[in-house]
Amino acid sequence: MKAVILNGSNKDDSVLFNVQKIIYDELGSIKWEAESFILHEIKIAACQGDFGCWVKTPGVCIMKDDGQDIAGAFINSDMTVLLSPVTFGGYSAELKKAVDRLICIVSPLFTKIGGEFHHRKRYSRYPILIGIGVIEKADEESGEIFKKLVSRNAINFHAPHSASEIIMSNEDTEIIQAKIRKLFRAKEVRQ
Amino acid sequence: MKSLLLLIGSPKPSDSTSESLGNYLIQQMSARNCETKTLFIRPAISTDERREVFLSATDKADIIILASPLYVDSLPYPVTKAMEMIARHRQTSENRNGQQFLCIVNCGFPEAHHNDTAIAICRKFAGEVGFEWAGGLALGGGEAIIGKSLDKLGFMVRNITKSLDLTADDLANGKVLSHQAVTLMAKPLMPAWIYKLIGEFSFKRQAKKHQVYKNLEDCPYQWKS
Ligand SMILES: Cc1cc2nc3c(=O)[nH]c(=O)nc-3n(C[C@H](O)[C@H](O)[C@H](O)COP(=O)(O)O)c2cc1C
Repeated sequence: MKAVILNGSNKDDSVLFNVQKIIYDELGSIKWEAESFILHEIKIAACQGDFGCWVKTPGVCIMKDDGQDIAGAFINSDMTVLLSPVTFGGYSAELKKAVDRLICIVSPLFTKIGGEFHHRKRYSRYPILIGIGVIEKADEESGEIFKKLVSRNAINFHAPHSASEIIMSNEDTEIIQAKIRKLFRAKEVRQ
Repeated sequence: MKSLLLLIGSPKPSDSTSESLGNYLIQQMSARNCETKTLFIRPAISTDERREVFLSATDKADIIILASPLYVDSLPYPVTKAMEMIARHRQTSENRNGQQFLCIVNCGFPEAHHNDTAIAICRKFAGEVGFEWAGGLALGGGEAIIGKSLDKLGFMVRNITKSLDLTADDLANGKVLSHQAVTLMAKPLMPAWIYKLIGEFSFKRQAKKHQVYKNLEDCPYQWKS
């Protein structure tokens, strides 16, 4: 099984790198392979909103850069982990740049899920979506928004399972490990 | 005289729904004796020099309006980036009290509530950087507007224009958005099934134009079986 980590850390953010290391260790302990993209080190153009990935080159963004590799890695993973500093409750700009480029993995045509409109699947299978948000000081509202965002993304990206966790940057390693272990040991992940 | 800054969050250089909505609101604000300025976020944060101008405009405005599309349940990358920049800037600058911030978020699905998370992010942003949160308007089915002037769209946008007229009155009087303005903006522009029909027809027509109609649902990244 393969996991992809989209690491939306800002430069010099050592906390997120520690968390990423724990993610690697925990995935290793359940015999998953992992590949990470450190997004601030990668050249990804911003989505221009032209729907070229739907109507010009269906399924692939017209901008040829690492954003294309990320979309390919995402759809071919069994689980994608969105790792980000919680930014006003949402993802960091670094992570958002990559996430905006992922709409190529769904069809432009519509379907209904839970009574709401969404885009139809393009692929027959989609990865589990896990969100891990790192926050400096306790802030329940930000955590709620982050978790809601991950769960909404999971619907749009047809994830068979999704979960999220908030980590405080000053938390002890054992607590962080326990939180991440809980995400990865869920029965929906181990199936 | 109040000064108003309209920030267009759509990455599209032209023909965006965000621009149509924002333009209508600033016309209403100009008519109510406000000084207005518009900046497109994507180019406005693209160089150091432009960033300076952008940040100084956010310092000066009495009211800041963000008009943005919804991208993957939240705000597009350039808007997120701009918010991070404003937050960093305001940590070291002397901030005025009483600057109002509101957002108008439009999405492609017909239901307005898809915008809820993005609006929650805007509210959180306003609180963290010290702007007064004036509220958020959510519009569903935004692809029915794409850059057209609201004045020319007549009956279809009657609830939008009513909502923005009310918003202009409230802002000009130093108030926050009314519940009525929020409710009117969230009303469907047309029955969802008609929107779906038109939307899918439009995507298919564009694919035909680019000779990829048959490839519309291709799976180019199907590496694994
Ligand atoms: C990258 C991307 C992601 C999008 N994500 C969503 C979404 O999650 N939900 C939705 O309803 N519409 C989504 N849309 C559709 C836009 O919100 C819609 O086209 C909107 O009307 C564009 O507004 P604008 O013309 O102001 O840019 C997305 C569009 C793009 C290009």
